[in-house]
Amino acid sequence: MIWILVIVFVICLVLRFPISFALGLACLSYLLVKGTPLIIVPMKMYSGIDVFVLLSVPGFIMAGNLMNQGGLTEKIIAFCNHLLGHIRGGLSLVNIGASMLFAGISGTAISDTASMGSIMIPAMKKEGYDTGFSCAVTAASSTVGPIIPPSVPMIIAATLSGLSVGKLFLAGALPGLLLGIGLLFTAYFISKKKNYPKHKRSSLGEVARGFVDTFWSLLMTFIILYGIIGGIFTPTEASIIAVVYALVIGKFVYRRLNFKNIQVVFLDSMKTSASLMVLVGFANLFGYILITEQIPQTISSEILGFTTNKYVVLLLINLLLIIVGTFMETIAALLILFPILLKVALAVDVDPIHFAVIAVLNLIIGLTTPPVGVCLFVASSIGKISIGEVSKAGLPFLMVSFLVLILVTLFPWFSLALPNLFMD
Amino acid sequence: MLYKTIGRILKYGALISTWGLILTVLLQIFCRFTPIATPSWTEEASRIFFIYAMSFTAGLAMKNDYYVHLDMFYNRFPQRFQRFLVKAIPVITFFLFGVMAIYAIQFIVLGVPEQSPSMGFNMGIAFFSMFIMSVSICYYLWIKIKKNFKNPNL
Repeated sequence: MIWILVIVFVICLVLRFPISFALGLACLSYLLVKGTPLIIVPMKMYSGIDVFVLLSVPGFIMAGNLMNQGGLTEKIIAFCNHLLGHIRGGLSLVNIGASMLFAGISGTAISDTASMGSIMIPAMKKEGYDTGFSCAVTAASSTVGPIIPPSVPMIIAATLSGLSVGKLFLAGALPGLLLGIGLLFTAYFISKKKNYPKHKRSSLGEVARGFVDTFWSLLMTFIILYGIIGGIFTPTEASIIAVVYALVIGKFVYRRLNFKNIQVVFLDSMKTSASLMVLVGFANLFGYILITEQIPQTISSEILGFTTNKYVVLLLINLLLIIVGTFMETIAALLILFPILLKVALAVDVDPIHFAVIAVLNLIIGLTTPPVGVCLFVASSIGKISIGEVSKAGLPFLMVSFLVLILVTLFPWFSLALPNLFMD
Repeated sequence: MLYKTIGRILKYGALISTWGLILTVLLQIFCRFTPIATPSWTEEASRIFFIYAMSFTAGLAMKNDYYVHLDMFYNRFPQRFQRFLVKAIPVITFFLFGVMAIYAIQFIVLGVPEQSPSMGFNMGIAFFSMFIMSVSICYYLWIKIKKNFKNPNL
């Protein structure tokens, strides 16, 4: 019976149904064949969304969009240019550095590629960088965003597993920094080899002015993290504080917000969130069906029957998630696979927080993995070159990402050091 | 006229719910840091505002194509089949949300005798959000279906 669920889901995905609707149709087909009362559809949709911590998703999206409306992207890029622009291949480093700072604001890789790419790719091309390299740097750097807090995939992982959002936010910070630093070094070495240009060194005054310009946005990330880690706010409250903070900064400091564009930003953020919540609702129904059919237990016992070696199990999970991550949106993949794979990981004594980081890292690296990584598509369409060229130029970055993934998988310290230090 | 009115209802419904959500959570935070006792209903109210905000915007997200899909296989299909899919996908999706809308009514009826734990209102009101979500998505799918079938290029 479960095959109906899987087959309908795969067929709908291949035929280009939206992922959430593919999930809904697969569940509906299963329920119709099984003869289950269909009232379960709205019931599970409602209970899937009726989770307090999920309220933080639109909150963080709104805060990020409000900050962006205030011209934050340009300010962060300008600040990074003052800091890194004088090094060989300066703009590529600015691209990565800005993504790391922007990470705290946006939270999704695809939107990072689009917003950073639309500014950085034309600017890099203009200075003589290869288009393939410019697109590859943009796509690779945008994967840092969803792992550095505040991270929407981490909120979803927390919702699915009951783990602390604060702990998950902290757990993603070191792997995110490691990934960002790895990408910075890779871009530097490639730039040095290809003799890409560098800018003149900025004066201390220019750096200070750039810092003042971005200070308010960086402070928002600090407030969110300090509020959650310090036990002052719940993640939902922190997200709403971030919205109010972004409103005040956008209106009175950046002076770019008015009543009309606030409503536009709100509506836009809510549409993005609603498309995610329909997915969450159907994933809840999907999860319910999987549990009634005891699928997590079956998969878990199948894998554990094959091997009980923790590292082999993690290798298998990594491979599966990378493959899924290449063609499926991060949140959708997380919603479908995380609860099943968590059970397997727990059975071989992997810490759930460590596993959540591994899962998110895998899925976001998948976004830049050829041949179909979504961020590669976005970057190639901005740069107007083939995805093959971007993929080729992006291979060194992908190798570094895999290296970080291996380190994070093998050494739980990277994920657990900060949560243990601040929250235990 | 109807198209504009429905769009406006959903837009203002979404904005009111969003502001409601923000203000309720702010009240919760404010009360925690002042001698005023935090009302017991703030968490429940914020969840209701959130669910309503999502329900009002789910249809608008449909209208503006916010739902992500995979393109990797679609581009390899013959053009004729692609044109068929453009017409068929909204019809099949309409069926999904049509079923959900019908059973959402049953869900509302089920909620009528129940009361919300802290606010004491009828749970049918909360469950009504699922009806709004499914009907609004159905409405914009219906518009899309009509447009697709009238389009001579499809």
